[in-house]
Amino acid sequence: MEKMENVSAAAVPLKLFGSWASSYTHRVQLALRLKGLEFEYAEEDLGNKSDALLRHNPVYKKVPVLVHGDRALPESVIILQYLDDAWPESRPLLPASALDRALARFWCHFADDKLGPAVGAVFASTGEEQEAAVRQVHENLALIEAELRDGAFKGRRFFGGDEVGLLDVVLGCGSYWLAVFEEVTGVRLVDADAFPLFHAWLRDFEALDEVRDTIPAVDRLLEYARGVRHMLLGLASAGADAAASATPAAAAADIAVDI
Amino acid sequence: MAGEKKGLQLLDFWVSPFGQRCRIALAEKGLPYEYLEQDLRNKSELLLRANPVHKKVPVLLHDGRPVCESLIILHYLDEAFPDKPALLPSDPYARAQARFWADYVDKKVYDCGSRLWRLKGEPQAQARQEMLEILRTLEGELGDKKYFSGEAFGFVDVAFVPFTAWFLSYERFGEFSVEEVCPRLAAWAKRCGERESVAKSLHPPEKVYEFIAMLKKTYGIE
Repeated sequence: MEKMENVSAAAVPLKLFGSWASSYTHRVQLALRLKGLEFEYAEEDLGNKSDALLRHNPVYKKVPVLVHGDRALPESVIILQYLDDAWPESRPLLPASALDRALARFWCHFADDKLGPAVGAVFASTGEEQEAAVRQVHENLALIEAELRDGAFKGRRFFGGDEVGLLDVVLGCGSYWLAVFEEVTGVRLVDADAFPLFHAWLRDFEALDEVRDTIPAVDRLLEYARGVRHMLLGLASAGADAAASATPAAAAADIAVDI
Repeated sequence: MAGEKKGLQLLDFWVSPFGQRCRIALAEKGLPYEYLEQDLRNKSELLLRANPVHKKVPVLLHDGRPVCESLIILHYLDEAFPDKPALLPSDPYARAQARFWADYVDKKVYDCGSRLWRLKGEPQAQARQEMLEILRTLEGELGDKKYFSGEAFGFVDVAFVPFTAWFLSYERFGEFSVEEVCPRLAAWAKRCGERESVAKSLHPPEKVYEFIAMLKKTYGIE
C-alpha cells in the first residue's frame, strides 16, 4: 500500500482475473466500462486455477479479482465500491445520500444472499424440489417488484435512477441467467405479467451498449448452462460424495450459483 | 415512514452480536439513541414494518426511516454523521480491505459457531476444524497490530468483537483454547474489552453460554 500512496490511481494499470461465464466477473467488467477505465483481462480456467489467482485471493481462491498495481481486490461488490472510492471523479455507482446507499447495499446483499442461491437451486434441481425453489424465486422477485412499484425505487427507470448504478450492475449481471435457465430447464421464472416492472427494467438494462459489450452471446450461455445442468443432475443422482470430490463440477457449481 | 419518531432508535436483541456491532458503533461515535429490545418469538409490528424482507434485528431507525443489516448500519452511521469519528478508514484500499474482513466474519463465524453447538459427531468435528481455521485466518490478518485497522479501533474490530463473547462457548463445544490457538486474537479481545463502548455492549461469556444452553433445550438438542 505504501508504494501507491503518492501515485494517482489512473497512472497504475488494472488487471482483472475472471471467468467468461461468471456473472460476478461481468459486474466488474461492466463497472469498469461504465467508468471508462481501461483494464487488462485474464481468463481463468476454474478447473485449474493459476498461481497468480491463488496468490491474489488466498482466502477464497475465486474470481473475480481486480489487481490494481500491488493491490489485490476480491469480492465483486467490494471491488465496485473500491472503484467509486479510488476514482471519485468517475461516474459514481453508489447513490449520493446515506439512506439511498444503505438501500442499494441492502438489495445487493439480497441479490447475492437470497435471489442468486434461489435461482441456482432451480437450476440444480428437478421435480418437487425445483417447484419449491421456483416458489422461492418468485417470492424474491415479488419483493423487488414491490420496491419498484411502491417502495424505494418507485418511478425509476433503473435502480440507480435515470442512470444505472451499483444495484443495477449487481442485479443485472446475473439476471440474464434467468432467461437462459428458463430455456434450459423449461421452467418459467420471470413472467412479464407477474413482474412487469422487473421485466421492463431488465429489458432496458440489457439494451445498454456497455451491457451488450459485457454479457456473452446467448447461445454460448445456453450451451454452457446445458452442460452444467447435465453435470449437476448427474451428480445429484450419483450422490453427494461425487459432488464433493469432482473438481470440474465444483468449478461449475462455482459459476452455476454465481448469478 | 415520515413523521415518525425523530432521532435514532435501535431494534435489537440483547445477545445478538450483530446488534452489538451497532451499539458499539453508536457509543464510539457518541450518538444518543433509544434501545428497543425485541421479542424474536413474538415479533412486533414495528420490527415487521421496519424489516419486512428479513424480519430480523438489528434495525436502525433514523427519524423513522429503517436501515437494516449491521454492516450496512455501520456504513450508514459513518456516512450520515460525517462529523463523528469514522469507523472505516479514508484510504480506498484500506476501506476495501476492511470491508473484505468484516464480510469474512459475516460469512464464516456465526454459522460455523452455530454448527459447533448444534451438531454432534463428525459434522461437529468438521465445524471445529473450520472454526480453528477461521480463527487462525483472522489471527493472521491481525498480526502484530493493536487493532485490525492498525492503531485505531475501527470497522473490522467492531464487526468481530461481539463474537469474543462467544469464544468461551466455542471453546467449550469445540474443546480448544483461543488463547492457545490464537494468542494474538485473545490479546486483542482483551484489549477491545477495555474500551467503554465494548464493555457496555457485550454480555459476559457465561451469559452467552447460558443462552446457547437454553436454545439447545428449546430445540431439543442434547
